[in-house]
Amino acid sequence: MTTAQILSSAREEKRTVLTEIEAKQILSEAGINCTATVLATSKEQAVSISDEIGYPVVLKISSVDITHKSDSGGVKVNLADKEAVEQAYDEIMKSCRAYAPEADIEGVAVQGMATVGTEIIMGMIKDVSFGPVVMFGLGGVLVEVLKDVSFRIVPIEKADAVDMTGEIQGKKLLEGYRGQDPADVPYLQEMLVKLSDFVNVTPEIEEIDMNPVFAYKDGAVVVDARIILSE
Amino acid sequence: MMELFFKPKSVAVIGASGKPGKLGYVIVKNISDSDFSGDVYPVNPKSDEILGYKVYRSVTDIPGEVDLVVTALPTPKLTVATMEECAKKGVKAVIIESAGFAEMGGDGKVFQQQIVDIAKKNGIRVMGPNCSGIVSRDIVTSIYPMTKKVARGNVVLLGQSGLLAAGMASDIVENESLNISKVCSFGNKCDVNENDLLEYFGNEDDVDVISMYLETVSDGRNLTRIAKKVAAEKPVIFLSGGRTEAGARAAMSHTGSIASNAKIVEAAAKQTGMIMADDFTELKDFAKVFSTQPLPKGNRIAVITLAGSVGVNVSDLCASHGLELPKLTPETTEKLKDMFDTPVSNPVDLYFSVTKIGFTKTLETTFPDALRDPNIDAAVLILAGFEYTQEAVQKKIIQKIVQEVGKPVVICMIVGYNKYKNVIMDEMGKELPVFPSLISGVKALSKLCEFGIRRNKISA
Repeated sequence: MTTAQILSSAREEKRTVLTEIEAKQILSEAGINCTATVLATSKEQAVSISDEIGYPVVLKISSVDITHKSDSGGVKVNLADKEAVEQAYDEIMKSCRAYAPEADIEGVAVQGMATVGTEIIMGMIKDVSFGPVVMFGLGGVLVEVLKDVSFRIVPIEKADAVDMTGEIQGKKLLEGYRGQDPADVPYLQEMLVKLSDFVNVTPEIEEIDMNPVFAYKDGAVVVDARIILSE
Repeated sequence: MMELFFKPKSVAVIGASGKPGKLGYVIVKNISDSDFSGDVYPVNPKSDEILGYKVYRSVTDIPGEVDLVVTALPTPKLTVATMEECAKKGVKAVIIESAGFAEMGGDGKVFQQQIVDIAKKNGIRVMGPNCSGIVSRDIVTSIYPMTKKVARGNVVLLGQSGLLAAGMASDIVENESLNISKVCSFGNKCDVNENDLLEYFGNEDDVDVISMYLETVSDGRNLTRIAKKVAAEKPVIFLSGGRTEAGARAAMSHTGSIASNAKIVEAAAKQTGMIMADDFTELKDFAKVFSTQPLPKGNRIAVITLAGSVGVNVSDLCASHGLELPKLTPETTEKLKDMFDTPVSNPVDLYFSVTKIGFTKTLETTFPDALRDPNIDAAVLILAGFEYTQEAVQKKIIQKIVQEVGKPVVICMIVGYNKYKNVIMDEMGKELPVFPSLISGVKALSKLCEFGIRRNKISA
């Protein structure tokens, strides 16, 4: 489905929360690299998709009603083979049905297991006065505890993206700390500009989280994404 | 359109009064005492003459055209009625000084909306309500009596603050502490807001520095666009009030839960090149530095002092404010070798030079030699309020050197006798940025350097 189709079908269904699969489709269309994520509506389909993507894979519950996927037991990672996928599928379904009996569950999202990189968070929110605003920061504990992030008002230029990545306290971690690979900072800056360009022409989006984004020596990939539409 | 507020050819004051002390009197008096040369029409149903001006029963009774209406009426209801009259008369600019509108909530909000509706329907621009309007050489609409004529300077102060147009304006006008051109307080900004004014003053050639205080941002997206354009040309100093860390939104995303209003405003300032001030004094102090000093090309500072410990403290402050203290070139070192008992370093300790040739001569020769050094972009000069510095102050040596060398200098004064300190602060402070603490001087200079560097980048 294209971005326009996803947005209009969400509107028809009167929902503002997109699924991870929808969010990643939209971001991919905006030129942002996301992990391959495909919906499986049955256990058999989950296996065949996993075979196609290549092991190890991740299975995540796909439901607009379950936003806290980990809390509901809806995430299983590092699944190495067919048996592990089948078992994970059953466990996810059981656990999520118990967690949220009323939830409308469309299936599970199957995605390739991304190699861990420098953990980044990117996002966007709409401010009443300033309109869309984009955010950049280091993910994990740095964003949780220290809120070490930078913001800019949309639309941003390349120079603004450069300021954003240079402004965070933990910027040294992007350069490769204690033997870790450095993050491809110019690539991240390019992603921020793409995000800004996209939200600038898509007024119906209210909030975006790309968390985490794994940044590598070359390139970066969005591992989890979430999009909220305006009421 | 903004011209009608700042350069009207005729002005009517609704609620004008003949009784000294009444707000309606002060406004007419302030206009009368300014250089306003157009027609003044006080409006009051019960008077015939105020301060020599013929009084009219209503706006519609005024024979000529009215460019600007200033109202200070006791009730919001009367103000709304006046707006209707202004619409009939064809007035296009109104300053509403009275309070009791949206800031009060309830009915006040309703009255303010009625004003906005009338204004929109009739193409009237409204400043206020709940404001003091304008303080300038050519027109003063403030309800605070002015003691002197306003300068024809190069700084404008804008804000959502009565303090700005009353307390701060009269302080600056009386003490001549800032080369002010206009002060504009726009209160609840039901129509005219910071974006209108920023754009207007951005295009005014005689305005070099804009200082702005906001409690709310009317239209941040436009502010970002306009401020970016204006701040590329001239410094825009920005004090943002009501900055809270708490996210004002009920966000569903992680991003939303971190994005506080304060962080977004701060981001907008960085993105546009506006200079953030942290308090009202800085709003004025930064404007002082920007309006009197040339822009530096970089952040390399010479610290000029007679006391080693002060030099150490200033060096530390420079480091924490992003300023560098480079060594002077071998040429300067060689040139100054007779004036120092040890080779000249930075901070530049003038003590030996002063014992040798006296303070005035040192300031005339040793100081400019250090400032001229190609490794140096600007200087912090520590001056004491004692008798030995007074001759140099009277001879305006520092002013001349700044002019001649073309590099900025800020002066910090931390010790002295009040009778001499006051001379430096008040007299010298009219023409130069003089600070009563090291940190305030260093911070102001760091902002000037930041802007200078940014400016170089833009023009490169």
